[in-house]
Amino acid sequence: MKKAVKYWCGFVLLLCVFTVLSAFLPGYPANPDLKFPYKKAGLTPEQAAAHLLSRFTYGATPGEVEEVVKIGPEKWFAAQLNVQMRDDSLNQLLDKYDALRLSNAEVVAQYPKGGQVLRMAVKDGVVNKDSVKTDRKAYRDQLQNYMQQNGLKPEQELLRQFINQKILRAAYSNNQLQEVMTSFWFNHFNVSVVKNDCSQFIPAYERDVIRPNALGKFNDLLLATAKSPAMLYYLDNFSSSGNNDNMQQGNQPPRRRLVLQMQNADTSRVANMPKLKAKKAQGLNENYAREVMELHTLGVDGGYTQQDVTQAARVLTGWSVYPMGAYGNAGQKLMNRLGDDKLQSRGFVHEGDFLFNPNRHDNGEKTVLGHRFAAGGGYDEGVQLLTMLAHQQATAKFISKKLAIRFVSDNPPQSLIDKMARTFINKDGDIKQVLITMVDAPEFWSAAAVREKTKSPFELAIGSVRALHAGVNQPYQLFNWINKMGEKIYYYQAPTGFPDKGQYWINTGALLNRMNFGLALASGRIPGVKVDLAALNNHHEPESAQAALTTYSKLILPGRPLDETIKRLTPMLNDPKLMEKVDEASAKTPAATMAPANDGMMEQQAGLKGKRKNNFIAMQATTGNNSMLAQVVGVIIGSPEYQRR
Amino acid sequence: MVSRRGFLKSGGLALLGVGLLGGIPGFLAEAAASEKILSPYKKKKTLVCIFQRGAMDGLMAVTPFTDDYLKAARPNLFMSAARSGAGNPLIDLDGRFGLHPAMKAFEPMFREKRLGIVHGIGSPNNTRSHFDAQDYMESGTPFNKGTSSGWLNRAVGLLGHDALTPFTAVSMTSAMPRSFYGDNPSVAISNLQDFAIQMRGNPTGANMAAKSFEDLYDQTASGLLKQTGKESFEAMKMLQKTDIKNYAPANGAVYPNSALGNSLKQIAQLIKMDVGLEVAFAESNGWDTHFNQGTENGIFARNVADLSNSMMALWTDLGTYQDDVTVMTMTEFGRTVHQNGTGGTDHGRASCNFILGNDVNGGLVYGDVKPLAIENLEDGRDLAVTTDFRSVFSAVADKHLEINNDHILFPDWKGDRVNVMRG
Repeated sequence: MKKAVKYWCGFVLLLCVFTVLSAFLPGYPANPDLKFPYKKAGLTPEQAAAHLLSRFTYGATPGEVEEVVKIGPEKWFAAQLNVQMRDDSLNQLLDKYDALRLSNAEVVAQYPKGGQVLRMAVKDGVVNKDSVKTDRKAYRDQLQNYMQQNGLKPEQELLRQFINQKILRAAYSNNQLQEVMTSFWFNHFNVSVVKNDCSQFIPAYERDVIRPNALGKFNDLLLATAKSPAMLYYLDNFSSSGNNDNMQQGNQPPRRRLVLQMQNADTSRVANMPKLKAKKAQGLNENYAREVMELHTLGVDGGYTQQDVTQAARVLTGWSVYPMGAYGNAGQKLMNRLGDDKLQSRGFVHEGDFLFNPNRHDNGEKTVLGHRFAAGGGYDEGVQLLTMLAHQQATAKFISKKLAIRFVSDNPPQSLIDKMARTFINKDGDIKQVLITMVDAPEFWSAAAVREKTKSPFELAIGSVRALHAGVNQPYQLFNWINKMGEKIYYYQAPTGFPDKGQYWINTGALLNRMNFGLALASGRIPGVKVDLAALNNHHEPESAQAALTTYSKLILPGRPLDETIKRLTPMLNDPKLMEKVDEASAKTPAATMAPANDGMMEQQAGLKGKRKNNFIAMQATTGNNSMLAQVVGVIIGSPEYQRR
Repeated sequence: MVSRRGFLKSGGLALLGVGLLGGIPGFLAEAAASEKILSPYKKKKTLVCIFQRGAMDGLMAVTPFTDDYLKAARPNLFMSAARSGAGNPLIDLDGRFGLHPAMKAFEPMFREKRLGIVHGIGSPNNTRSHFDAQDYMESGTPFNKGTSSGWLNRAVGLLGHDALTPFTAVSMTSAMPRSFYGDNPSVAISNLQDFAIQMRGNPTGANMAAKSFEDLYDQTASGLLKQTGKESFEAMKMLQKTDIKNYAPANGAVYPNSALGNSLKQIAQLIKMDVGLEVAFAESNGWDTHFNQGTENGIFARNVADLSNSMMALWTDLGTYQDDVTVMTMTEFGRTVHQNGTGGTDHGRASCNFILGNDVNGGLVYGDVKPLAIENLEDGRDLAVTTDFRSVFSAVADKHLEINNDHILFPDWKGDRVNVMRG
């Protein structure tokens, strides 16, 4: 009996350990409660896997389609939804990006803007103000020294790390869905590096606000964006204040006067005199209130009026940024002197970088969308407003439609949007559940959806890197190409974010650049991006140009009907003058940086096989590299078929 | 638009079928089939817009030099129109306003009444943030952030015909400017030489690849990719006919070796190639002169020299095309009346702009600039905005491009136009 208990206990213990362990072990869930209806839509398991990967990753890696078929698309999707994959090698790559681990306050202290550095240097007497910009080199050197001595780095370096990191995550993260959703929500709640006031805060915005909430509850995401410095600056809410009678300085009790000083000081930024003077006089600013309804929640036809916008702006007055930055900041000194407890007792709310400043808040009564906010609601009424907006029918439809446009097609069926919107309402804006409803619907798998989307330049570039297993050492080179193709990520100026439709991405200049990108990438001419085409095919040399075309088309475009692409490209490869042309070309072309082909081996084989192959191999022999193969792969990446997903 | 394109296309093919237009690119054949234009080779009017990013000090560019308040407010920056000693004085335009001497290239144009100046121009929204002010000016809706399109993109939609060539609207910038955001076809390109299939050092390979691509796009089932692919290759071939790289400006025009000079040179090339350019956009940077902006020499002088010399090089280069072109500058706001503590000026309100062209009712400084006494200043510090930028932009768009639908061009605006244009 005793023994049995002991065994039993041991077993239970073991079970517990196993359960606990397995909860932490990354990997695929045992029994996802899903069965995707792709068979009814007429898709094979391979086609279904390829479609799924085209929607929820930045592009399939070689062999990934087969892998998803093996695991089962439902299990794969569930693991992606729960962000369960390990990312050790990615994390190792990201390790060197030290600026991306800093808090916003640390960023402000260590990566000041050019203008801030200049003012600091002038104030510290290091740079003579009369020499500024007159003798460019001398004053630049002085500034550089000043920055080095004070441990300051240029803001551009921060943004560079940030952009590099994004490209590496998109290319190599095993939790692809999380990364795709992060891009989706960033674009939905767009902020822009172009706006100088908010650019410093964008890395932390994506890291702390968007990514952790990308697969959570919509309401949490909305609130987090509303309180983030990046958004508060981007849409100017930090500067919005109410016009209370009791906000006049003068006949206030002394204790209150202290806080009022703060209200008039620019509480949040390193002193920037010209701007500060100009902004002091501002009152209500409706920018955020308008866009939170038009772009973030209800949508432009969401049934709100200008009156609602103004009232919502009043509700959100006083939502601002906690002072940060080490230099000449009266607000921060005052804050530190007061301490959090005192702040709280006076109605301030301080959470991380967010500060609710009751002295800038409009205390009057407001009505938004028919909902009355009684006078004196303070910080809480703002939270109530946003929560209310997050749960509107119009919001459920607007967000569902945007998701369907991103993941299904440029013109998703209304039936699908309605299903998703129902889930959005019933499941309290649970983004995962909305995605499950979408993938579980026949519309997701319909012929009208498969390959209907046009890849954005970012998707094209990252997808190619993934498809070719390219090694990216200089991600910024890819950023430059993506910019050239028309998607300067993080620099889109308008709060709408990039339009998500094919017509936007495809125009004459951009299209030629897509083709050029394919050629440049495949021939190893993008510095810091290594491509090994031979390794992609396990170092099996294709037997002919034709074979190369077939093999690599299948590798790069898995699960697609390729007859047309192959048929169109074949004449090029069989051009009788090809040898001549390539000879001529190779004489002028410096060797591409690719794995050298085994010339001797190929020449031997060349003697044994047919004429076409002879051509192909002779080409390689004469060029000493796989330039023909690179050209074939480049053309595949630039082909119309590859522009779609 | 797709169906319209389809219609045009069939018309174009019919023409090709009877051999009338064999050998010319398809989009010109389409143009020939359109009833709205007379001939594919009819010259089009072109509006060239230059955005001076950073906010130009309008009071230094075109100085009300008789204003003693200004003189007092700018002890180190004020320039005089009176010749005294070694330096060059302001160029006296009308007894009240003086043009910065570094812009002497503009003087003949002003005297010939082909250059107009609007002073006190700006936005009704009093933001002094570069970003917000540029955003509002470029979207054309000074109180609405969420406007998804830019005013120049809407202008393309109001030209009265479909964009007939890939070059209808071209921005000589690496990224699409806010002014060009929107659904109407437009292209952003910083270098026309990029309009080609390129394999560095391997022209044969590039040619082969181009042929493969053209074939693939011609056969693709996707309408969008097929149509755009076709236009891309036609555009490419159009540009290949001229030696873009070794372009020699006409009439002895010399472009400054600057970003703006380079952009305007390429715009001139496109205009002279008759490829259907109607709206062009270029940028000029470095106007945010908080520090040591200088007077006769210095940053500001270099900037205005570059601006005026680039514009005049374009003008000279255009030669017989001058009648078809109007050039208009814009900047997000002006700068403080008072100089600051670092030899510069801070963010203000109104600035001035320049409009150059044979359609311009020039030789005048338009606008309402009151004496710069404190009671006349906006917020007690800045040159007041007395002319809404839209009242000038809409006049230029109407008279030069025959775009007169202000409801679409500037949806929230109900003001009167300033008639800076003839007719």
